[in-house]
Amino acid sequence: MATEPVIYEPGKAREAFRAVTRDVAWVAEAPKPHKAWLGALGVSMLMLAIGVYSIFVLLTTGIGVWGNSNTVGWAWDITNFVWWIGIGHAGTLISAVLYLTRQSWRVSINRAAEAMTIFAVMCAGLFPLLHTGRPWFAWWMLPHPNDMDMWPQFRSPLMWDVFAVSTYMTTSILFWYMGLVPDLATFRDRCAARGEKLKAIIYGALSLGWRGSARNWHRYERAYLILAGLATPLVFSVHSVVSFDFATSQLPGWHTTIFPPYFVAGAIFSGFAMVLTLLLPLRHLFNLKHIIKEEHIEAMCKILLATGMMVGLAYATEFFIAWYSGNLYEKFAFVNRAFGPFWWAYFAMVSCNVLIPQAFWFKMVRRNVVLIFILCIFVNIGMWFERFVIIATSLARSFLPATWSYFTPTIYDIGLFIGTLGLFGTLFLLFFRYVPVIAMSEVKGAMPEAHAGGPSKGGHH
Amino acid sequence: MLGDGALYGVLAEYDTPGELIEAARKVRDAGYTEFDCFSPFPVHGIDEAMGIKRTILPLLIFGGGFAGLLGGILLQWWTNAYNWPWNIAGKPEWSIPANVPIAFETTILLSVLTAFFGMWMLNKLPQVWHPFFRLERFGRVTDDAFLLGIEARDRRFDSVATTQLLKDAGAIAVENCHLDPDPASRTMPGWITAFIVSSTAFALIPFAIAAKARNSHSSEPHIHVFPDMDFQPKYKADAASDLFPDGRANRGQLAETVARGSLNADDTFYRGIEGGKWTEGFPKQLEISEQLVRRGQIRYNIYCAPCHGYDGRGSGPVPQRVAAGGGAWDARNLVQAGGPVVKMPNGQLFNTISNGYNTMMGYAHQIPPADRWAIVLYTRALQRSQNAAVDDVPQEELGRMPMPQMQTPAAPAGAGSAAPAAPTGSAPAAPATPAPAPAAGSAAQPENK
Amino acid sequence: MSALVKPLHPDEKIKAGKLGSSLTKAGVGIAVIFMIISIVLGSMQGDNWKRFFYSYVIGWSYIFSICVGVLFLVMLHHLVRGRWATAVRRIAEAMSSAFPLVFIAGLGFVIPLVLGYKDLYYWAHPDAHDPVLNHHLHHKLTWLSPGFFAVRYVIYGVAFSGLAIYFTKKSREQDETGDPKLSEQMRIASAPAMILYSLVVFMAAFDILMSMAPKWYSTIYGVNFWGSACVGAFAALALIVLGIQRTGRLTHSINAEHYHDIGKWMFAFTFFWAYTAFSQFMLQWYGNMPEETVWYKYRLFGEWQWVSIAMLVGFWAFPFVFLLSRWTKRIVPSLVFFAVWQLVFHWLDLYWNVMPQYDWQVVTNGTASVNAGPLMGNTALHHVGFSPVDITVWIALVGVLLAGIGRNLKGNLIPVKDPTLPLSLAHENL
Repeated sequence: MATEPVIYEPGKAREAFRAVTRDVAWVAEAPKPHKAWLGALGVSMLMLAIGVYSIFVLLTTGIGVWGNSNTVGWAWDITNFVWWIGIGHAGTLISAVLYLTRQSWRVSINRAAEAMTIFAVMCAGLFPLLHTGRPWFAWWMLPHPNDMDMWPQFRSPLMWDVFAVSTYMTTSILFWYMGLVPDLATFRDRCAARGEKLKAIIYGALSLGWRGSARNWHRYERAYLILAGLATPLVFSVHSVVSFDFATSQLPGWHTTIFPPYFVAGAIFSGFAMVLTLLLPLRHLFNLKHIIKEEHIEAMCKILLATGMMVGLAYATEFFIAWYSGNLYEKFAFVNRAFGPFWWAYFAMVSCNVLIPQAFWFKMVRRNVVLIFILCIFVNIGMWFERFVIIATSLARSFLPATWSYFTPTIYDIGLFIGTLGLFGTLFLLFFRYVPVIAMSEVKGAMPEAHAGGPSKGGHH
Repeated sequence: MLGDGALYGVLAEYDTPGELIEAARKVRDAGYTEFDCFSPFPVHGIDEAMGIKRTILPLLIFGGGFAGLLGGILLQWWTNAYNWPWNIAGKPEWSIPANVPIAFETTILLSVLTAFFGMWMLNKLPQVWHPFFRLERFGRVTDDAFLLGIEARDRRFDSVATTQLLKDAGAIAVENCHLDPDPASRTMPGWITAFIVSSTAFALIPFAIAAKARNSHSSEPHIHVFPDMDFQPKYKADAASDLFPDGRANRGQLAETVARGSLNADDTFYRGIEGGKWTEGFPKQLEISEQLVRRGQIRYNIYCAPCHGYDGRGSGPVPQRVAAGGGAWDARNLVQAGGPVVKMPNGQLFNTISNGYNTMMGYAHQIPPADRWAIVLYTRALQRSQNAAVDDVPQEELGRMPMPQMQTPAAPAGAGSAAPAAPTGSAPAAPATPAPAPAAGSAAQPENK
Repeated sequence: MSALVKPLHPDEKIKAGKLGSSLTKAGVGIAVIFMIISIVLGSMQGDNWKRFFYSYVIGWSYIFSICVGVLFLVMLHHLVRGRWATAVRRIAEAMSSAFPLVFIAGLGFVIPLVLGYKDLYYWAHPDAHDPVLNHHLHHKLTWLSPGFFAVRYVIYGVAFSGLAIYFTKKSREQDETGDPKLSEQMRIASAPAMILYSLVVFMAAFDILMSMAPKWYSTIYGVNFWGSACVGAFAALALIVLGIQRTGRLTHSINAEHYHDIGKWMFAFTFFWAYTAFSQFMLQWYGNMPEETVWYKYRLFGEWQWVSIAMLVGFWAFPFVFLLSRWTKRIVPSLVFFAVWQLVFHWLDLYWNVMPQYDWQVVTNGTASVNAGPLMGNTALHHVGFSPVDITVWIALVGVLLAGIGRNLKGNLIPVKDPTLPLSLAHENL
């Protein structure tokens, strides 16, 4: 191959860039929202209302409305917390890790995935807050001088959670917003050109006066790279800290050293499934098929397969070491998981997380959007069950048979979970309608046209 | 062409990123410094063409991260190991392994904040206003335009030559950009300033209220935003109630009834009376033993000694404190030979403990009857020991006693060895009369007041 | 504007020529000389060769782990259609192809074990069967028996060698035919290969290293070993690539950009190793269960604590802070410094994993005295007990590795017809 520069006819490259802007902006500029979008928003808001009612009952009555008991003190609440946090991680992975490893296909989905991260973390944060029983005292968890002259207990993994999740939330929002600024500037300029003054002012204020200066881009890119470099260990640390909530204890089934990487792999697994669950219909709805391409979806399917295998490997390792250790309780915990009263949950977990994703070995499956959507729903369910299996089965069968119990959710457990799904859906749909849904500047930068023109006489190397 | 203010600069448009890079290189080679390129995405290779120096941002971020690390460690050390040390699960107060996660998070947090805010600061953003925004062409820079702008303040700037240079570099269009003739348009509108100031002030209100609350007193009950457990559906003692005709929440004892286990029919045991008189002995329920004496000693030392003193001479810590304050008050001397307490029957002594005497309050509600009898027994032992003679000591114990006083009565007795248990000594300590203390173990103090 | 693709420089020396055979000769020489010294030193220890064999397991794990890490790079490169590493891939393939020889070298401790040598692994000691002292071991003594161990060893050897040889062979085939379909084949093969690879890495780490303390267990152990292995592998790759460039080969093709990427991976795995090591330590420390903390007890108290601190500072903190900067990774002398540094500390990591198990405690059980195995008794009596044989065995086995690499440095040193090569040659870091 030669060093020939890519030659485009005059105006052609610009046309290609314009097309990207037009197609992405169309999602927000379409005068009337799509009926399916409105319908989905309606359903989401209804679910959100159920959640709000469940929270109302919870706060006015107490944690007793949940199915939690003395034996199973953590149940749906923490399961949902871990599940949502895990979903959030895929967004960071796509925006940061794939950026560092130069997987340029990420540009079509990173914006939506980052938004998903923020909304998922919001849903996640709700659960531990509500589980405290008195969420209005949540600020007690932050170190502040108080009347009692007491400080938070920093040796507790639950405090680590507070720091990890809030750092994660902050970082995700800043990273997302930073990526948004050039695109918000695009919206600003488009609104100004159309004479929509109010919108232009709002988008203008949000875009901070961005003008695409090369000197600004230089620092922007450095900052972006470093933020990606910081977000990568952060995303590892957040789910590791979540896993520490369990693994620092001595409960069989919780206390195992592989939890941190295993939770991280599971988080990415569930997160990618959620990204696909969200984007497959929306991509169809808003005509973004030429930007979110089939290859991108296929790549995500492969990541699902890989992380699913990692999770499977962790299951196998846990079982092997439970036998290898010779620890009676450890052995019992794992036998109980598979064959105890929650066998059905374990069965759902293994089949959804390990067996079903095996379908992604076949290209035929990876190219069938409907099938992918269905499989991703299964993965979402499977990963929910994974957390449930870890939390509930271990607690329900701890050391003393006298305390053994079974967990049954109440309608308020279910209502709150539905509510967070509604919150997530509502926020995501609003995001899709009002914010640049695809990182236009990044897509443009990753197009072949970005290297158009100019004989590279003085080019180095 | 907009406006007629001073010339700000020229703006050239290029067709492709590659041409923009070439143009930038030419402009730089021509010696211009006050120029910039504008593009919808970061153009790869333009930094080098324009001669942009690497930003110092990474260094700032490293500093931020280091501060975060240090801050995270110090926070945890200061709060958990220094200011409020607290034993959790037997872990060391300063548990470094357990502090790693939070120190890590604070490191990341401060690095991220530095990266984000540092980047905008170095880029001098937000800056909503810029002369180029006046050009319609510039509105497409966020869409598909590749622009190069040279400012008029560059010392090489020359309206004609610069335009020509840009055109030679392949520009598809070059236009001049003038500043707005109205200088007011280059300053921030007053309403924005007003909004920022007022919203900042508004945001500070909660902090001001909190600060005021920290530094003032109020007799008003505080506002219960969330009632929590402040108000519980229950009655407190002596509260009012609409439920009962007498309007009281307290329900007294029903007439002619005795609560289970509260009959206390045994006069001797509960009241110290036997046959209508104070009993001289002890109730039959109690077995008089050394164990009971010891029990009595413990109870006595808890309840009686503060006033009566460990030796029973009435000069416990409370009288001492009175004396220290310049007053003079002693509790009753319980052990004075021939004194009223020594003569008192056991029953009366019991009654005094139970119901009090003069300024002494009753202890019936604090000390169960059996313990009160134990105190009576111990008081008797104390009286015996405080007034004992050598003959009282059993023969076999005699040899074990250190009795320097007996051999050398002139020596300052007990100066070194005797325990200073009873500093009754406003009276000059006379040479000690030999007074061994067998049971109670307190030292000799001969002077009776 | 920089080019996206770049052809192979016309003057580039890409043929291995005599490089391979001279490296093999040097490697064999080093191996033979130092093994003779080691045998002499080992016999002088007067501990029935125990020190010698412990050092042998460390040294063998060292060369094994470097091959493990390099094989990962090769497979990952295919799996994700990597670009930057194409230029160094042939060298990485040659390194991973040392596997068969490495496994033959490993027979040096596996065969004595099968023949009844009982002082290396406690589970091979007859006293491990003591029902009172070792009731926790009893259930796994079939798994951990010399025979079964050797069977698994052979499986690991066949699996790793097979993977390494497959990817090397296909890659060389492409040099001949230039068929882009071979890239596709390798990409497809790399996915199941990864599964086999991770299973074998986990199990090998459990068997060869973790079973040194047979009563102790940690699920993350394999991951931790793998992290350390990859640090060593990328460091070794940097040095070997540089060594080849010093002979005047590949001087145009491999530049600071590639070193930068090797450095990045070394940095990433340094961090990853610290992450897994911390997870393992912190969770066991926090859980505070005696059957787990015993492993750390002998590493955090007594003489070993200084080695632990050295690990923390030397294998993580110091290289981590300096490798953060892009310049330490791009300026070749500084990258070389850190590569050598990490190679030394990777050895120390294995030493730290293995050697604290060296002291076995004999306890009296009634009248009979029973060998209770490693990690028993007073921590103060567990000495680092450094011996010259630790180093000489290590050097001898590194000689084996070099010989193994040399054997495979033949033909082209760069996959000349790989379709991604022009991209790799033009590769630039942001």
